[in-house]
Amino acid sequence: MPVPTIADPPATSGGVKSPGQPAQKSMTKAERRELQEKQRAAKAVLKQQPQGKQAQQGGNPPSTTGGQKPKVPATPQKKTFIAEATGGKLPSKDTGASGAPAEDISSKQVSHGLRIFSHFGQPKPIGHTVKGDIHPAIIRLGLLFSEFKICGSNARCIAMLTAFKQVIQDYTTPSHSTISRHLMTHLSPQITHLVSARPMSVTMGNAIRELKLEISGIDIDMIEQDAKNHIYDYINTYIQDRITTADKVIQELAGKKIKDGDVILTYARSSVVEKVLLSEHSEGKIFSVIVVDSKPLLEGKELLKSLTAGPNPIPCTYALLPALPSLLPEVTTVFVGAHALFSNGAVYSRAGTAMVAMMSKTHSVPVVVCCETYKFSDGVMVDGFSKNELVPLSIIQKYSKPQDQIQVSSHLEKLNPLYDLTPPTYITAVVTEVGLIPPSSISSIPLALGKTSL
Amino acid sequence: MPAFAIYSAFKRILANEEISTPLAAILALTELIENSDAGTMFELVKALNDGAHDLQKQASNPISLNAGCELFIAFVTLFPHDSANFADLKKELILQGQNYAAEALTYRKKIAELAFGFIKDGSVILTHSYSRVVMQTLLLAHKHKHISVFVTEARPRGLGIKTAEALTAAGVPSTVILDSAVAYVMDKVDFVLVGSEAVVESGGLVNAVGSNQIAIIARAANKPFYALAESYKFHRLFPLSQYDLPSHNSKILSFPRPLLAERASSTNLSARDSTASAHDLSTPTDEKPDLVPPKITQQQISENNPDVDYTRPDLISLVFSDVGSLTPEGVSQYLVGMFAG
Repeated sequence: MPVPTIADPPATSGGVKSPGQPAQKSMTKAERRELQEKQRAAKAVLKQQPQGKQAQQGGNPPSTTGGQKPKVPATPQKKTFIAEATGGKLPSKDTGASGAPAEDISSKQVSHGLRIFSHFGQPKPIGHTVKGDIHPAIIRLGLLFSEFKICGSNARCIAMLTAFKQVIQDYTTPSHSTISRHLMTHLSPQITHLVSARPMSVTMGNAIRELKLEISGIDIDMIEQDAKNHIYDYINTYIQDRITTADKVIQELAGKKIKDGDVILTYARSSVVEKVLLSEHSEGKIFSVIVVDSKPLLEGKELLKSLTAGPNPIPCTYALLPALPSLLPEVTTVFVGAHALFSNGAVYSRAGTAMVAMMSKTHSVPVVVCCETYKFSDGVMVDGFSKNELVPLSIIQKYSKPQDQIQVSSHLEKLNPLYDLTPPTYITAVVTEVGLIPPSSISSIPLALGKTSL
Repeated sequence: MPAFAIYSAFKRILANEEISTPLAAILALTELIENSDAGTMFELVKALNDGAHDLQKQASNPISLNAGCELFIAFVTLFPHDSANFADLKKELILQGQNYAAEALTYRKKIAELAFGFIKDGSVILTHSYSRVVMQTLLLAHKHKHISVFVTEARPRGLGIKTAEALTAAGVPSTVILDSAVAYVMDKVDFVLVGSEAVVESGGLVNAVGSNQIAIIARAANKPFYALAESYKFHRLFPLSQYDLPSHNSKILSFPRPLLAERASSTNLSARDSTASAHDLSTPTDEKPDLVPPKITQQQISENNPDVDYTRPDLISLVFSDVGSLTPEGVSQYLVGMFAG
């Protein structure tokens, strides 16, 4: 089992290639195994008696010994995943700084499970529970994902593909098999590991599907290194074509919709929208930007920093979601990014986007979604409840001030979905690399591109 | 070779009553190929693009013209060239262009037949301005059914009067109504039928100014709003709002400089600077001539107003075109398929 031991936290959230391994406590193998066993036991117990015992424990005040790594939790129940997602509340002084938050909460507190939305993927702390033959690059990436150091579907997809390039270069086909048949079985546990760190994004799913198709199509007589180089090139081309170049085209198309004197509103942070705004500004267009943001991630702050950086900053206004109605009358266009686009034209994006879009619609402000075609999903989604992801508690704690935190009791649960779904009726146009299209025509795009799969 | 004057050719072709703007643009571009000395495909496409650009610059309203140019240039670039030499290819392209234009003239008949099925006996129809395809549809309906037509005057060009005259001459009962009387008449109407300048990628409609408000009133009264558009009017454009149309410019809706008001206030100030007693006497006498309102001419009004407006797709019930009766979503899917492929 490869064990990352270097304590070297990556500096930036967007940094895909920070050297070394992310921060983690150095544990011995035995300790890790112990922890793993505990968690497994906890899961089993939870299944048998889901409510009673935990609710009772949830009422306990949080212990004040936070900050130390919980090597030996008192009871197995304390380490249930549900408790981590909802209940666990730490004394704040330990968590304000970014230490190793995921572990801290894990043993602290237990409350009952979510009464509603318990089907949302429960984030679990990973990192030290590595099963099977996982490549160090993937372990590192898993940690970055689970701690939201790499966030955003484009960044995550690029980071995953970049890690796969490394995995594939380090891979050797066993003597009895061929690369086209065996490589995917080698990649599967890596993917599983990443998914256990954070649920897979639609972009990652699409990229993996394309990659699988490419791998399975490799000629079995091809020399192994050639085959590996071929896949390497394929991944590079994929990133280039579907993400990097697509973004450039989107920048150009969306940029045409910004005119002098416009007031552009955007929500949270989208890498594409950021590029659009910056490139249009550098071309000398005069416009101002309203960045609307919301807890818990407050990603808009990052956007604000990059828009106002440099010698020639864009005039910006920063506001939280409740201020939206009073800002909208002066807005000319709303630009938002997307996590995924479904074939019914619904946009799956950062929680809060739907509200921005709906309110803009009532003010008849056009809502433009910037989205590459590789984010399209052939599924249909009608609401944001059937599938979603929760913001892990450790992340919430990292972004909020200690005094702002609400003490969790057995009667209170925290729910922080990461995404929501904007119905197609609230969207004016979707800017893709194949042009501006109305959301109702999303389903015809894959056909127009002559593709059977996305 | 002297430069080919594409705009005059365009004007000449447009003089033909039957030929609409996009078709005239296509024919003008075929003439440009005829006159061009381009030796390669690249040169030819460049010449065409330049020609299209020239047309755009000179024409007052570039939207429907662009639709035609775009279609023809896309056709030329995608045309399979297996001809032995380039001169043959050019001949072939010219032939194809002319054939297309000839065929396109039959589209209106097709559309009229499609829309005919939606017109019931005894229908009262509201139409806007003048459109050849609407005229053809109404005349076809008149042959077989009883219809009566309200036509909006359609200022500033007043083309609605032309429609009403032509309909009356053909024996269709028709009345010209004011543009401002649309809401008044809407309850009497069975459906609205308009032509189009262009049908855009959102599934929306660009048409003579006033169409948007008719669509909004029709929606408020729950009356169907039908648009008629030949497929060469489908245009790869996505306006987000009225002001995002290529025809919009800073002159439209601009406020005139209030020269008189300024003068009035300056005299007011100087009066106040002088003695208070003089103020009472001077202000009424001095300012009176300035307060005479300036004359506003019809020409000034039309200069400050748009020619076309954009109707949102959700206000449109159906678009009849030669490729079928399409919902606005269908139009946008067709357009995405046509150009994204």
